Amino acid sequence: MAMAASLGGFFLRLATLLCLFQFVQAKTVSYDWNVTWVNANPDGLMERKVIGINGEWPLPIVEVDKGDRLIVNVYNGLGDKDTSVHWHGMFQNGTNGMDGPSMVTQCPIPPGHSFTYNFTINQNGTYWYHCHTGNCYPDGHRQALIVHDKDAYFNEMYDKEYTITMSDWYHELIEDINWIRKANPTGAEPVPQAFLMNDMTSANISVKPGETYLLRLINVGAFVAQYFYIEDHTFKIVEVDGVYTDPTEASILYIAVAQRYTILVEAKNSTEKNYPIVMAADSQLLDTIPSDLQLNITSWLEYNAEAAHPQAVMTVDDVSNLDPIDDMTLVPHDRMELLTDPDVTIDVTVIMQNLGDGAGYAFLNNISYTMPKVPALYTVLSSGNYSTDATIYGEYTQPTVLKKNQVVEIILNNGDTGSHPFHLHGHNFQLVDRAPGYGEHFYDYLDGGPVAYDASNHGDFPQYPMRRDTFILPPQGYFVIRFVADNPGVWFFHCHIDWHLSQGLGMLLIEAPEQIQEQEQVSSQAYDNCRAKDIPFEGNAAANTKDWLDLTGQNKQVDWLPAGFTTKGIVALVFSCVSAFLGMASISMYGATGIESKKVETAAEGENSAARDG
Amino acid sequence: MGNNPVFAVTVFFICFRECLETTVVVSVLLAFLKQSLGGGEDQKTHKRLVKQVWLGCGLGLFVCLAVGCGMIGAFYGLGTDSFSSTEDIWEGVLGIIASLIITIMGAALLRVSKLQDKWRVKLAKALEHERNPNESRKGRFKRWMEKYVMFVLPFVTVLREGLEAVIYVGGVGLGLPATSFPLAVVCGLAAGILVGYLIYKGGRETSMQIFLIISTCFLYLVAGGLFSRGVWYFENNTWNHVIGGDSSETGSGAGSYDIDQSIWHVNCCNPELGGGGGWGIFNALLGWTNSATYGSVLAYNFYWICVIIAYACMMYRERRGHLPYIDPAMKKIQNFKARSRAFVLRRPYQEEDTTSSPDNSSGALEQSVFGKEKMSGADFSANVKQANT
Repeated sequence: MAMAASLGGFFLRLATLLCLFQFVQAKTVSYDWNVTWVNANPDGLMERKVIGINGEWPLPIVEVDKGDRLIVNVYNGLGDKDTSVHWHGMFQNGTNGMDGPSMVTQCPIPPGHSFTYNFTINQNGTYWYHCHTGNCYPDGHRQALIVHDKDAYFNEMYDKEYTITMSDWYHELIEDINWIRKANPTGAEPVPQAFLMNDMTSANISVKPGETYLLRLINVGAFVAQYFYIEDHTFKIVEVDGVYTDPTEASILYIAVAQRYTILVEAKNSTEKNYPIVMAADSQLLDTIPSDLQLNITSWLEYNAEAAHPQAVMTVDDVSNLDPIDDMTLVPHDRMELLTDPDVTIDVTVIMQNLGDGAGYAFLNNISYTMPKVPALYTVLSSGNYSTDATIYGEYTQPTVLKKNQVVEIILNNGDTGSHPFHLHGHNFQLVDRAPGYGEHFYDYLDGGPVAYDASNHGDFPQYPMRRDTFILPPQGYFVIRFVADNPGVWFFHCHIDWHLSQGLGMLLIEAPEQIQEQEQVSSQAYDNCRAKDIPFEGNAAANTKDWLDLTGQNKQVDWLPAGFTTKGIVALVFSCVSAFLGMASISMYGATGIESKKVETAAEGENSAARDG
Repeated sequence: MGNNPVFAVTVFFICFRECLETTVVVSVLLAFLKQSLGGGEDQKTHKRLVKQVWLGCGLGLFVCLAVGCGMIGAFYGLGTDSFSSTEDIWEGVLGIIASLIITIMGAALLRVSKLQDKWRVKLAKALEHERNPNESRKGRFKRWMEKYVMFVLPFVTVLREGLEAVIYVGGVGLGLPATSFPLAVVCGLAAGILVGYLIYKGGRETSMQIFLIISTCFLYLVAGGLFSRGVWYFENNTWNHVIGGDSSETGSGAGSYDIDQSIWHVNCCNPELGGGGGWGIFNALLGWTNSATYGSVLAYNFYWICVIIAYACMMYRERRGHLPYIDPAMKKIQNFKARSRAFVLRRPYQEEDTTSSPDNSSGALEQSVFGKEKMSGADFSANVKQANT
């Protein structure tokens, strides 16, 4: 830049200024992260091993400006555990390989190895990053990622901003929670031991009277959705999952894991008291509620540090009686219109069932997501002309190949009695329809059987549907979402309850594979990680590079539970019948000899009496 | 046990069996009276004695009903709820006990015609006392006994069989819903009286015996099912502990059973849920289960193998005289019992001849069954045995 300036000349100067301005606007943010185990005791109940970055936990909040390039060099210093980082909500346009889910867009980073995430962020709003290799982020590997936008319409409407993360918290290492097993046939998810706000049990958000605050709320938990409200305060929602909304007044939010809300809170003109900020866990999701589990967390809008910090008083017996705002009713600030006439419709149903090992699994239709042998992105890159054939991505990743710029509709029906926050990588999507909505009717479909979406009989679709990247599927209900396939890449569509993902509640969208092949660059470092783990990085889902349509040896879900009579059942039944008949035969024989002996006896008696008479 | 809310099969059989034994005794008495006094000249005495017999029956029935109601009331008063936490263990134990009771009773049922002979002998003995003047010096009670033997015998029999039934029904039926009792009890009594009447009438020995064979086979099917079911309940209890809840909460589908123990499992036809409907009866009669385990199938087969061996032994005994090993062992037990009884009653002990010919003693039959069951470790069978001697 200095060299350019030295050339002189008005236009050149102007050009330089512009250049400089551009440079300032689109800077590069670099981090070196050494991911290691550290000890922490965020709930004050138990110190445990957590995944830290550069020896610290809670993890650093990443803050960038819209347009920045983010370069994060992640070194896995855990020693005993693979890792990877997913930048939740980032579109990764042109950089699919930076998305982070293991065996989808990369090989996991083995201990002692590194992976450099390098991508440009042309988005704005509230995001987060988390580990995406098996169940790894509930061990603490998750934190907020904020993208500031100097053009945000609400920039002038607040004085200060805060980021508030919410989370469930487990005392056991996730790898030690062995819950997908025979002895847990209902698939009851592990119940957390605590809930955290900003990785603490309570936080003080200090406010000045009369000022307005921007709160970025992120549920970085693994499982439990949270109700959020501030006593005696309402607020305005201005952003959801990185999408600006028209300012919408609300008093209660329901935030599922991975969802974000940004709200404007106007402080009262009084410093008399501090107001509880309440985070109430949705206990409906919990199979059992241990007596020592504190479901509600109170933080405070702190007007006056000297004044009392009262504990929240729950106004309802059951949190499900709280009436949160329905995110379907929000309107995107950009007024993007409803996408019509979808080119592709993906219609899948969430099912929870047991497989042959007796453990509970989750299914979309009848497939429980099982990771392929080759990361799907590498299959795209190595498959040449086969890339548009969904077969090569394996049967148990449930792939759908999308063409560039198709309008895609996903109909998700819920055959399960729980709610499921579904997340789509690489996109946000329009919330077209959902039933039942939030509020008092949310659990209505539990009384009968599941209600599936009926394309010929549904309510009016919104003209400007809200968009987000994580959307809640109601118990036994459905939702319909739409998006344009304008972002080539392999994108994971999955339930963000980490337990359900490990049960197989996910599927792959292979979007514009030919364009992926054109634009995607994979570093040698990424392939080194595969080599270190002996993971093939060429071939179809079964790592077959010769016959692309031959999936012999692909990873499969556990076999189905045999129904009814198998061979051993029939053998056992026949044996039982035979032994019963033999037994009855011996009884009959014995009984029949009774008849004979009786006859003999009577005959003998007759003879005797005859003899006596004679 | 199926927990059929309408008809408790085990209760039916217990009532049937006890009632049958009582009617046999009564019929023997009536037949005896008819034979000896029915000839015209002693009409008055005959009538009086018949009256005595029926009076004894009636009074016995009344007393045992009163006691029975009290006992069952007490059972339920204690509260079956106190067992509910260990309900599966409880049902398992009761199932196996009921199975063994039925098994022993069944063997006796096949020789119920022998019972008639046995009672004739008993009656003869009782009447002998009357004629023996040496015994009369034992006092007024003895004389009273002699005078009213026709009253005392049915009274005692009815009372004893009745109480026995009450105890069994009470014990077996604890795990059953109270609604399943009345019909089963009434049917059992009716069937017992009917068969007893047929025996009294003489009937045709052969068809009678065929009837008895069929009903015994039936009984054993029930008992086999119960035995298998008992083991099933134990396994179910273990499984419930593993999954930390009641597996029936998960319905009859996956998770309601341990797949590693499962031999077959069909999601329909569960005899446990909602009363089980037809499957509940199928379960009670034949031991059907929609979810068979290794334990339950093995138990079922094991039960039948034991039955086959036991009947083979009994047949051997009837044809060839006494069994090696078992009979000497039986004799020892018998002697020990006699000795301890003598000790308790402070009477001089007399060595009893227990090696009586199996051909004229149904007791011996039962001893052999008893012997078999003793090996399976069932103490209560002593009651049954004593009740029949």
